[in-house]
Amino acid sequence: MSRDGWRKKASEDDGWGGRGGYMAAKISKLEEQFQKDAPREKQKDGMSSCIFSGVAIYVNGYTDPSADELRRLMMLHGGQFHLYYTRSKTTHIIATNLPNRKIQELKGEKVVRPEWITDSIKAGRQLSYVPYQLYTKQKGLNFTSVCARGKQDPSSSHEPSKPDLNHPESDSIKPQNGSCSIISEEDAERPRVNGIHDGDDDDYDNACALLPRGSQDTLLTNGYVHPVNGALKPQDSFAELQSLISTASPAKQPGLHNMQKDLHPKPTFKPGTSAAPQKGNLHDQKRVRLNGSYHMTPNSSTLADSSNQPGRSGQGAEAGIISEFFSHSRLHHISTWRNEFSEYVNSLQSRSRAAGGAVFSGKEKLKKLKANCSLMAAPQVRQSCILHVDMDCFFVSVGIRHRPDLKGKPVAVTSNRGPGRVAQRPGANPQLEFQYYQRKQNQYRKEKTDGDLEMTPSPQCDEVPSNGVDLDLAALSMAEIASCSYEARQADVRNGMFFGRAKQLCPDLQSVPYDFQAYKEVALSMYETLASYTHNIEALSCDEALVDATKLLVELGVTPDDLARAIREDIKEKTGCSASVGMSSNILLARMATRKAKPNGQYFLRSEEVDDFIRDQPVSSLPGVGRSMSSKLTSLGVSTCGDLQQLSISRLQREFGPRTGQTLFRFCRGLDDRPVRSEKERKSVSAEMNYNIRFTQVEEAESFLTNLSMEVQKRMEGAGLRGRRITLKVMMRKPGAPVEPAKYGGHGICDNFARSVLLAQPTDSGQLIAAEAIKLFYAMKLDVKDMRGVGLQVQQLEGSYADPSGQGPSRGRSIKDLLLAKQPAHSPRKDPLAQGQSSVNRTEVTPPSSPPSTSSDPMPGTSKGGLHHPHTPNHVRTYLNVSIEVPSPSQVDQSVLEALPVDIRKQVEQSWRHREEQPSTSSHLSTPPRTSSSLPPGPSLGTLVLQLPDQPGQPCTTGIILELPDFSQVDPEVFAALPRELQEELCSAYRNKGNAQAHAQAQVEQKNPFPQLKQPAVGKLKRRYKKRNASPAKKGPSPLKKLFPGNSPAKSSPSKTLPLPLKHFGGKKTENVQCPSSPSIDVPETLSKLNPRPVPTLAGAYEFSDIRTLLREWVTTISEPMEEDILQVVKYCTELVEDKDLEKLYLVIKYMKRLMQQSSESVWSMAFDFVLDNVQVVVQQTYGSTLKIT
Amino acid sequence: VSVLEMGRIVNFLYVFVASIFGYFTMATLTRQDLNFGQVVADILCEFLEVAIHLILYVRDVYPSGIFQKRKKYNVPVQMSCHPDLNQYIQDTLHCVKPLIEKNEAEKVVVVIMDKEHRPVERFVFEISQPPLLSISSETLLSHVEQLLRAIILKISVCDAVLDNNPPGCTFTVLVHTREAATRNMEKVQVIKDFPWIVADEQEVHMEEAKLIPLKTMTSDILKMQLYVEEKTQKT
Repeated sequence: MSRDGWRKKASEDDGWGGRGGYMAAKISKLEEQFQKDAPREKQKDGMSSCIFSGVAIYVNGYTDPSADELRRLMMLHGGQFHLYYTRSKTTHIIATNLPNRKIQELKGEKVVRPEWITDSIKAGRQLSYVPYQLYTKQKGLNFTSVCARGKQDPSSSHEPSKPDLNHPESDSIKPQNGSCSIISEEDAERPRVNGIHDGDDDDYDNACALLPRGSQDTLLTNGYVHPVNGALKPQDSFAELQSLISTASPAKQPGLHNMQKDLHPKPTFKPGTSAAPQKGNLHDQKRVRLNGSYHMTPNSSTLADSSNQPGRSGQGAEAGIISEFFSHSRLHHISTWRNEFSEYVNSLQSRSRAAGGAVFSGKEKLKKLKANCSLMAAPQVRQSCILHVDMDCFFVSVGIRHRPDLKGKPVAVTSNRGPGRVAQRPGANPQLEFQYYQRKQNQYRKEKTDGDLEMTPSPQCDEVPSNGVDLDLAALSMAEIASCSYEARQADVRNGMFFGRAKQLCPDLQSVPYDFQAYKEVALSMYETLASYTHNIEALSCDEALVDATKLLVELGVTPDDLARAIREDIKEKTGCSASVGMSSNILLARMATRKAKPNGQYFLRSEEVDDFIRDQPVSSLPGVGRSMSSKLTSLGVSTCGDLQQLSISRLQREFGPRTGQTLFRFCRGLDDRPVRSEKERKSVSAEMNYNIRFTQVEEAESFLTNLSMEVQKRMEGAGLRGRRITLKVMMRKPGAPVEPAKYGGHGICDNFARSVLLAQPTDSGQLIAAEAIKLFYAMKLDVKDMRGVGLQVQQLEGSYADPSGQGPSRGRSIKDLLLAKQPAHSPRKDPLAQGQSSVNRTEVTPPSSPPSTSSDPMPGTSKGGLHHPHTPNHVRTYLNVSIEVPSPSQVDQSVLEALPVDIRKQVEQSWRHREEQPSTSSHLSTPPRTSSSLPPGPSLGTLVLQLPDQPGQPCTTGIILELPDFSQVDPEVFAALPRELQEELCSAYRNKGNAQAHAQAQVEQKNPFPQLKQPAVGKLKRRYKKRNASPAKKGPSPLKKLFPGNSPAKSSPSKTLPLPLKHFGGKKTENVQCPSSPSIDVPETLSKLNPRPVPTLAGAYEFSDIRTLLREWVTTISEPMEEDILQVVKYCTELVEDKDLEKLYLVIKYMKRLMQQSSESVWSMAFDFVLDNVQVVVQQTYGSTLKIT
Repeated sequence: VSVLEMGRIVNFLYVFVASIFGYFTMATLTRQDLNFGQVVADILCEFLEVAIHLILYVRDVYPSGIFQKRKKYNVPVQMSCHPDLNQYIQDTLHCVKPLIEKNEAEKVVVVIMDKEHRPVERFVFEISQPPLLSISSETLLSHVEQLLRAIILKISVCDAVLDNNPPGCTFTVLVHTREAATRNMEKVQVIKDFPWIVADEQEVHMEEAKLIPLKTMTSDILKMQLYVEEKTQKT
């Protein structure tokens, strides 16, 4: 997309003016972190040195050891580690594999292999980097790096695969307390929200990021990501980097995009190293790239910089924005953790299955405990028991687990740490937005018909007004609170509330930054703990899981309470955070029990208590009851499940639809038969962005959709899925809403539009999705300027192609699949059985055998996305443009047909049947199929037959008609990658193309044969004619007739539709007929015969100019026309009438009139009258009136 | 084969392409769900609107003062700026469009009548759509445009071959439908209060009429000819 779409006019008061810019603040923060981390690292490791003092490295791309490890090494040995490349400060670039383009960009820089660092450490001194330079030996390096990885792998292979969340090196997690990667400056708050939804999030009613859900403990449950900031930092500093190096390396971006994903998200700088120069740089920094868009900072008028901008737009930069956005959005990552953990649980299960039984340490411990303490033999629990384990205020408790000083205080996790005030931006009208939401809420309440005033409004209704109704609301921070402690909740602070508002409610509120690394760690240890008891775990989110403990309890003979206590103690011990456990007979009740258990407790909801318990539960606690539904229920007079129980199922189904109605009916009675599924089936894959969408031109939206499609493709590939239904969702600014929403870059008040299309074939191709999405987009006819959010969703999913072994059913197995199968099989689908360790290193592993194009894959992938398919097919896509007709049955390979999906096969066959019914309806453009065999040079050799685009009038056979590109345009590599059969087909197609062209030329030559065939003996003819002048009309086959066609080559050559003279000549065997061109003239004859509605021709002439020439020859060379020829003309004119080509008829008649009436012979005049009379009769019959001949 | 079938065939092509040649681009086929009948109807109705305006101008049905010069098909045309007249023409064509879409309209006739409502001229647009639409490329549409332009040009000079009309002429638009299309039209009124009525025999047939063919166009998606039936004695 064009930059302009993302560029925003930054206002004077964007909050960073006085701080040297946002980036300066950030970088200094990074430095602090590095400073903090370094001594700790040194302490921990014990061995440290200063061999790298003065060295500042920047890691570009995948390296071995990883960037993270290199960072640690640099910490230990006195060097610096730059997360962002700065030409002026970074001394060495570490890389093992760089694409050529990047190498060219980095000319003059020291690009060094990582071995330089490891070897130097080994040697105890800083070695010369020269032998380790990358440039000269890039090819060899590819290989070594792969080998190195190979060596590393076995060591980790005995580990169960751990969820790989942020980066490939997840097994090197280090405890780190203060190293948060998110920085917020006190007075400079810039809330940024990315309302990204998790790919598998079916629940789209929460697109409005401003309205948090009712359930306060499930921040990330249901895949609902609270739109919090923070995840986007890398881009910012990245932008800074760009602006710093903009003059030097204009085309740097794409490479960096690719490489950044490999970086550990811990932007840290060594203290005191380069603060001063940075500041200097940052003060005149002109552009801050925020979240994929560009913002002009106030003082952006410097000519030098702005003049650089156009040149800087490397073509890959735009393409990378979306995937960059997602790959850097840590919130997005968190939301995807559920999948990762599901996978983790899966792999655990399959591993235990493979090993013939797993060792459950926790279970054993519990067993022992029971034996030791000789617990009272618990009554055997026969019914099922589900445990719902949920961490208490996950983000908060993780954030403060090493900060005892904050315990017991109101704490909120947010990006903002200041007083929560920010200046208002022009164009924004938060007041209006707030009023809108309030009105909306009121509307819901007004819908209550019964006037039951005693009803307490549902918590959701309160949520909105509480979110910052204030006179100076505009000045309040709009950073959402991701999570807040119970102490804060007591002060009415809620998750999702804006920080500024919360600060007003609770002035003591402390803010804690995000610490994604820690979240991951804690979540992982929670899952590990659970997995030490059983593997019947369903991952709900990073801090929430369901455990089916039925069997476990029977086996152990303990009560659910004992089990829960043991689990909670374990978790507390391992993570330092408290968890609550709800237990009951099904998932629904277990979750409800957890509500009661919180905080830091457990509650076993016995089946006999269920009825009483659920009666008092608010309806909003039922899953699936969101804001709108609870409002609706409120209007029905329902606020608790007990109220809901009073409603009949038919009433519910009437109100909410059959399915929802039934679910509600069951849920409010505590009935829930959903099983604990360790592997959840995905229903949709989607990508959505509704932050900072500001397009100015349609093209930007288009390319944004394309990029979003690529993101979807990546996700689908990651999940190994393909889908058929593509839904485009667009958020449009509501008419009348302020152009600039209260939240910076947010979407404001929007209308949501969605459209979907069902594809014939499941796909995961980003290009195809993009094409469809763009079509949908145009169909929606939206004003791009008002677009605030775009989402693409793919539903009706199927698994990706048949498994590589090829044993699966060949459903949807197309040539593409065959092609892919032929590719080096370096991308086996996730096979949890065999690849326990796969997630550890299944990142950019490029096998040595793969073609170079794969390694320089232009698509930056998130590391978790893992393997990309080879993109050779994509190249083909760009090279070949096809329009295809159904080939005739004989031309179709039966095996191909059989391999087609049933429905497609049916359609093919149907079309054949259809064709047989109307065998020759083809227009004049193409020869009917049957003639094709009679065409000696006809282009019917192969299955691929060409339609030459420039010669639409030329006949061509049916068959697959490929519009082949110029042969020069065919990528030889791609061609080589095609299967052999296909190569041959293409070859023959190109051969045919040549033939067809020759054929076409021949036809053109035939078109006007008159000049060549000059009348040899006019005088003689005239003489002969005069002899027989006496009775021309009476004689049937007059000699003239014989003579005329024979002697007038004008007629003879194309005269195949003149049956009489032809017949005649056939009898007489005049040598004139056998003129050299005659064989090829057979073609038009057969054509016109077989054509259902032939184009009227006069002696084979079709074009008016030819007709005119013909007539002129006729009239000028013969003094007296023959009756048969006249009739021929009449017949032609009649045909013209029937063909509804009156214009031509009119022209012909007028021309004849001129010719014949000018003729000295009166017979010609008579002839004309005869023709005209006949024509007029026909016209009269057809049109009810006669031609006006003037 | 009706026009509607086109959609199916194109869809089918698309399916086939997607399955067998999944690795080729769909660039030429992204219009898969485009109904070509609709496209033809759109093109044609647009043209007819221009043509009717021009005929009214050329044949002096309305004073030339209500016409403005515009550009269409890259040639100058005359368009009325009388809102009621424009509305009438638009409404008429709006009703004609569904017929064309279904290939049910055989002729669209602009009848110019004298004071006594006797037709003096009939501009007949005879439409026939090829049974099987073949879609080639974008060039097709520009080709069609050229052909339509030729008709427009022909209209603008048709007064050379036509006698002058008597003063005080009016006009009406007739549609010759195929088969049972009229019945459907009565059932479904596209525009409310804008019904079609069966034309008088008098309006349909002119006595002692002369036929002046103006232009014929033949393209892949449409074949159309325009001719004028002119009363021999107009006054």
